[in-house]
Amino acid sequence: MKGNTGKIVNVDLTASQVMVETLPEEYYRKYIGGSGLAAKLFWERGDIKADPLSPEAMLLFMNGPFAGLRLSGASRNSVAGCSPLTGHWGDSSCGGFFAPELRYAGFDGLILTGKAAKPSLLLIVDDKITFEDAGDYWGKGTEEVTQALKTKYGKDYRTLVIGPAAEHLVRYTMILNDGHHATGRAGFGAVMGAKNLKAIVIKATKKEMVLADQAAFDVLRKDLNVRIKEAVASNVLHENGTAANLMGGVYSGDVPVKNWTSNFWEESADALTGSTLTDNYLTRRGACAYCGIACKRYVEVKDGPFAIPDGPGPEYETIVAFGTLIGSIDLAATCKAGRICNDLGLDSISAGGTIAWAMEAFERGDLTLEDTGGIALTWGDMDTVIDRILPIISRREGKLGDLLADGSVAAAKKIGKGLDYTVHCKGLEAPMHDPRGGGHGMALTYAMSPRGACHVADPMLFVEMGARYYPEIGFDFMLEPKTGENKAEAAVMAVALGAIENSACFCQFADAEVTIPDWLVLFNTVAGYGWKAEDMMAAGRRVFFLKRLINYRYGLTSADDCLTPRMLEPGKDGEADGSQVDLAPMKARFYELMDIDPVSGIPTPAAMAALDMADEAKQVG
Amino acid sequence: MEFWKDETEPIKAFLALFEAAAADPELFEGLKKVNQLIWFDYTESGPNCSFYIDCRGGELKYSAGKPADTPDLVMSLSADDAHRSWSDKLNPVMAITRKKIRVKGSATGLLKLAPKLKKVAAIYMKVLKDLGWEDKIIK
Ligand code: SF4
Repeated sequence: MKGNTGKIVNVDLTASQVMVETLPEEYYRKYIGGSGLAAKLFWERGDIKADPLSPEAMLLFMNGPFAGLRLSGASRNSVAGCSPLTGHWGDSSCGGFFAPELRYAGFDGLILTGKAAKPSLLLIVDDKITFEDAGDYWGKGTEEVTQALKTKYGKDYRTLVIGPAAEHLVRYTMILNDGHHATGRAGFGAVMGAKNLKAIVIKATKKEMVLADQAAFDVLRKDLNVRIKEAVASNVLHENGTAANLMGGVYSGDVPVKNWTSNFWEESADALTGSTLTDNYLTRRGACAYCGIACKRYVEVKDGPFAIPDGPGPEYETIVAFGTLIGSIDLAATCKAGRICNDLGLDSISAGGTIAWAMEAFERGDLTLEDTGGIALTWGDMDTVIDRILPIISRREGKLGDLLADGSVAAAKKIGKGLDYTVHCKGLEAPMHDPRGGGHGMALTYAMSPRGACHVADPMLFVEMGARYYPEIGFDFMLEPKTGENKAEAAVMAVALGAIENSACFCQFADAEVTIPDWLVLFNTVAGYGWKAEDMMAAGRRVFFLKRLINYRYGLTSADDCLTPRMLEPGKDGEADGSQVDLAPMKARFYELMDIDPVSGIPTPAAMAALDMADEAKQVG
Repeated sequence: MEFWKDETEPIKAFLALFEAAAADPELFEGLKKVNQLIWFDYTESGPNCSFYIDCRGGELKYSAGKPADTPDLVMSLSADDAHRSWSDKLNPVMAITRKKIRVKGSATGLLKLAPKLKKVAAIYMKVLKDLGWEDKIIK
């Protein structure tokens, strides 16, 4: 096989056994890799009835075909399976350094099942895979454990570590690579926790890879690395991180305020934007493997109540989730909250979203002091958030900790109040982009995304800004963000492109520079597919469909392609004031264009047949 | 050129725009925050068709031509697209993506100015009227 290694490792944690398996090339050709290949394997082998926190649950780590090939932004990986937060298909992309190492070890992926008898870690050194005792690390934060593992095994060993919150099965926990790069969404940290797997440690020495046309790949790789690095957006991301344009987002109404009750908080523009982080707290910049953009931040807050030593800094999502969303514009507090989330192993988006919901519930009287164990939940009270709420969530401590540890939707259901002001789709708390300000098309793709409200499942956010343009496939939209006009048409292409990105594990910030002809050269020189644009787009659409089929098995239908009442209220304040998403017509048009059945929410048999999915069509019945 | 008789007209309009913007306290503050030397290079519409603004060090200077110092940011586009852009009729992100605007250097300062573009456009309309160029206003 060219490009991909063709091999995955099946790890049975119950039996402490590993089995290396060779996958058919057709799987890669049809589902690319990353989250697409994970979906294919989950479709075939996943036990739909298994509780995601049971030993039977399957957790997949999958690389894309470009991992380790020294191309900017192309060495991410995908983690997938049944989300313990949502109870259906979930996937989460992660940057950092795990993917190249796995590939150098000779594998495209890992599939974990079972449950170790005691806290364990998986040690991969080239093709030697062993199970080690992790008793000393259990109960400890990701920072301490990462450092301890690097001390024990070596600095150049790459680590994936879960925090105490995942050990306590908090349903929105992450997996942290090298103490900095998060597999944040959908709660897969808890799946590792339930399997008694504290960490995966990996080191590989071999680097040989066989590509279909190495020389041609190298020509494009060098050119792309320069183009990606020199692009305007890259420059801005490098300088001021992913929050570089937070100010623009504030003025357009994209940045949610106080659990999405307002679209505008003017002071937050200066207080939280990326350049303020640079000016006040940045110590250095960081990057994922081989990435020339280097959008990652290291920060230090020297003094004050939120002082933290030099270490990983917050990205845009964390800055808003622990900023305006919960009523604060204190950037130092945000830096500290982000650091604590990392250490406890919490997904900052769902954590911020759940706390924002709880603050509104408390303000309305739907949560009382009795429910919270005497803790007042007040907008902007960052001391309480950092010192009390995050720690008790991570330990499921007391009524409040346990209530919030399952996410906002479960919490609202449990108290029987407040579902109308949760902000999610399919159980996944929404990211920090409010479509009423950012663009109504994003509301549509939030609703359509198989994992739930998600801004990285597809490039719709960028499409509505005007930052995506693929004339070769007729993708030439000039969109007015705050309307529904042409959004379904754009979304049809965006979901396929997003599926390609997430299956190829290419960072959305970097692949903005990758044209359709570039994508084809990449796939064809690496894996030798001989693809034309229509083949590649078909693969993207196939992946999107397959994830929907998996969700259908979980009982999801078109009725689940929806947004909450709060998200559908008219926007309030600023530029987004009165901006109201009209989801139904966009959704109907999207189904029509995609040939999706408007009741079941899955592709029609004809749509599946057109994409060579006859087997899947048969299996779904 | 679609909007301009010759290459001097756009520069006259844009310098008048910045003169008016500097007199507006909110925009003046916004421009100071940009803190960069920016060269607006419209030379594809004529060899002398360019101007610069220098917002470094809490001051605001602007003049026709290319600056003597190396600019922090160069924005190259046609004088017609510049007119559309200052009129808030050209989405800058879209224009950059489609290579209608070519950017060299750090665009960080411009991001700070972006939220004020609507206000800049309103002032630009007035400037055009004052110059007797109402016919150039894009409806
Ligand atoms: S742009 Fe940032 S997130 Fe993306 S690969 Fe590069 S460093 Fe990682």
